Amino acid sequence: MKIAGNDILIQSLINEGVEYIFGYPGGAALHIYDSIFNQKEMQHILVRHEQGATHAADGYARATGKPGVVLVTSGPGATNAITGIATAFMDSIPMVVISGQVQSHLIGTDAFQETDMIGVSRPIVKHSFTVDKQENIAQIVKEAFHIATSGRQGPVVIDVPKDLTNPDELFDFNYPEKANIRSYNPPVKPENHQVSRAVDAILTAERPVIYAGGGTISSNASDELRELNELLDFPVTNTLMGLGVYPGTGKRFLGMLGMHGTYQANMAMHNADLIIAVGARFDDRITNTPEKFAPKAKVIHFDVDHSSVSKIIEADIAVFGQVKDSLKAINNYLRSRKDEINRQKLSPWHQQIREWKEKHGLNHELYKNDSDEHPILPQAAVQHIYQESEGKAFVTSDVGQHQMFAAQYYHFDEPRKWINSGGLGTMGFGLPSAMGVKLAYPEEEVICITGEGSIQMCIQELSTCSQYKLPIKIFNINNLALGMVKQWQDMNYDGRHSSISYEDSLPDFVGLAESYGHVGIKITKNSELKEGIAKALSIKDKLVFVDIYVDPNEHVYPMLVAPNGSLKDMWLGKGEKT
Amino acid sequence: MIQRKLTLVMENKPGALARVVGLFHQRGYNIDSLHVDPIEDFEPFRFIEDELGIKFQVGEVSRLTIRTTVGDKLMRQILRQINKLIEVIAVSDDESTYLKGVLRNENLL
Repeated sequence: MKIAGNDILIQSLINEGVEYIFGYPGGAALHIYDSIFNQKEMQHILVRHEQGATHAADGYARATGKPGVVLVTSGPGATNAITGIATAFMDSIPMVVISGQVQSHLIGTDAFQETDMIGVSRPIVKHSFTVDKQENIAQIVKEAFHIATSGRQGPVVIDVPKDLTNPDELFDFNYPEKANIRSYNPPVKPENHQVSRAVDAILTAERPVIYAGGGTISSNASDELRELNELLDFPVTNTLMGLGVYPGTGKRFLGMLGMHGTYQANMAMHNADLIIAVGARFDDRITNTPEKFAPKAKVIHFDVDHSSVSKIIEADIAVFGQVKDSLKAINNYLRSRKDEINRQKLSPWHQQIREWKEKHGLNHELYKNDSDEHPILPQAAVQHIYQESEGKAFVTSDVGQHQMFAAQYYHFDEPRKWINSGGLGTMGFGLPSAMGVKLAYPEEEVICITGEGSIQMCIQELSTCSQYKLPIKIFNINNLALGMVKQWQDMNYDGRHSSISYEDSLPDFVGLAESYGHVGIKITKNSELKEGIAKALSIKDKLVFVDIYVDPNEHVYPMLVAPNGSLKDMWLGKGEKT
Repeated sequence: MIQRKLTLVMENKPGALARVVGLFHQRGYNIDSLHVDPIEDFEPFRFIEDELGIKFQVGEVSRLTIRTTVGDKLMRQILRQINKLIEVIAVSDDESTYLKGVLRNENLL
């Protein structure tokens, strides 16, 4: 059968099993949109801004593990997608972005809506393709999906000149079964000598910590990680990207580590004699000053990406391969040497960690204060959301104080439930990513914990939620200012609050939500908090926007002392340092 | 810091060179010199063909030579970052080679 380029493109996506394509039409993408109109297998979700499309596809990908797919037009359509592509790139999220391009003969002439999308996106994609002729479209799509979803995952851009989707020119269509890219060969299985060296180090450790990050989730290695922990009884900490990969309520869980990590997690890392890094990349929010990082620790690093190992912190033992395969190999080998596992040896270490936790661990009783004499604490708001949703919801967040409070006080027991922009720190991510999650899991509770700053960066997507009837629950932790910036200004700039306030010009969020046909709830007092959150969650068929006014002067603690601090140097409260 | 030479064998595709050059800028490395040619004499590269079970055609692949002045640790990072580029088939510095993603402890190029 002969079909046109636009149909080849869409049929190729259908062959890849794409359920949803998030996008926004425009001139260069019109032929492709016509092809979407003529099929039923795949649903197009019309967003209100291309940034929303990329974040929605990203949220879908993070929650399901399947690649998110985006379609935008040339020029401004393509450049509006850039922030979302960069977000996915930093967090290694599989995504395929198709951008329309001006007709081939116009490329390079500064034609209407022409942007060099391949050039603009080059530093923030895993790879990109320009379609050169219709006969290659199917092969390019196959390769794009293969690259996006294998090795260290990431976004791939396909730029398609308009003339190559012309419905009048017909070609043979056979979707290839395999992508054979002769120059691309991501590592899969670890080598035996790496595994045995890692196990030798594991068996002699006295103060070990398992430090697991987003790569463990990408690789679907949560079960293997939990198995490793069962075998060894080692303490586990998760990065912001790794939350849920080990149960947040698990016995050996230390909490998140790093910039706003728990006291016990940071102290355990600093004092460890062995750090087992699993799909984590020693980001600067984790290490603080690299020269002062965990001075006594030997490091085993599991990663699929050679360039992540020994980039910041030198690894003593590197295990290359998909984290899932590597952990399986470690677990198998450990079982064969089970007699050498000595749990007794760890008890002083566990005792030490318990002491740290008791001394300066997070206060989990905040939600019990229902006095209206004091403003609502943002941490208490998150604790109530956690309890009322029974800890089972998908939670997306934006970026700032509310994100850190959510990471600290919502305890994720499963991977892929916590959806946030860790690497790039993209405000505006929360609402659109929640749309992607809700489309993927319509029966599950999907919560967006956001702030009045972040939500306004992609608030137009409230309209998309209305169109597709996505009953997301939005909890707006409203402190009337850009809270995290304000915190830094309080701590480092003598409280000079430069450009962080918009108190008098905030919209009436309840009225705004209602204008889109959603439900709005405003909470200003502690005595209304539990009931208001419960009410929002009880409404199943509508999006509910809950505007929670919290203490505008609250800071996020613990917080690493920087610059020049180590992981043991933390602010524990206002003016209180370790 | 000393000047070092990197040799790459990569697919001769539009935009491939820009990815290599762009990488140096993105990661904050400096290029002292750069030379690129399509490979016409495949004799020195037969081992790649044998290893990967492929046959190069004239005009399909290019050889790049890049000189850069960096320390040991950064050199290793550069090599690993270049190895990640999808169109790079092989990359060597004085001591090691990534051949289609697999590390060898010698300069094969």
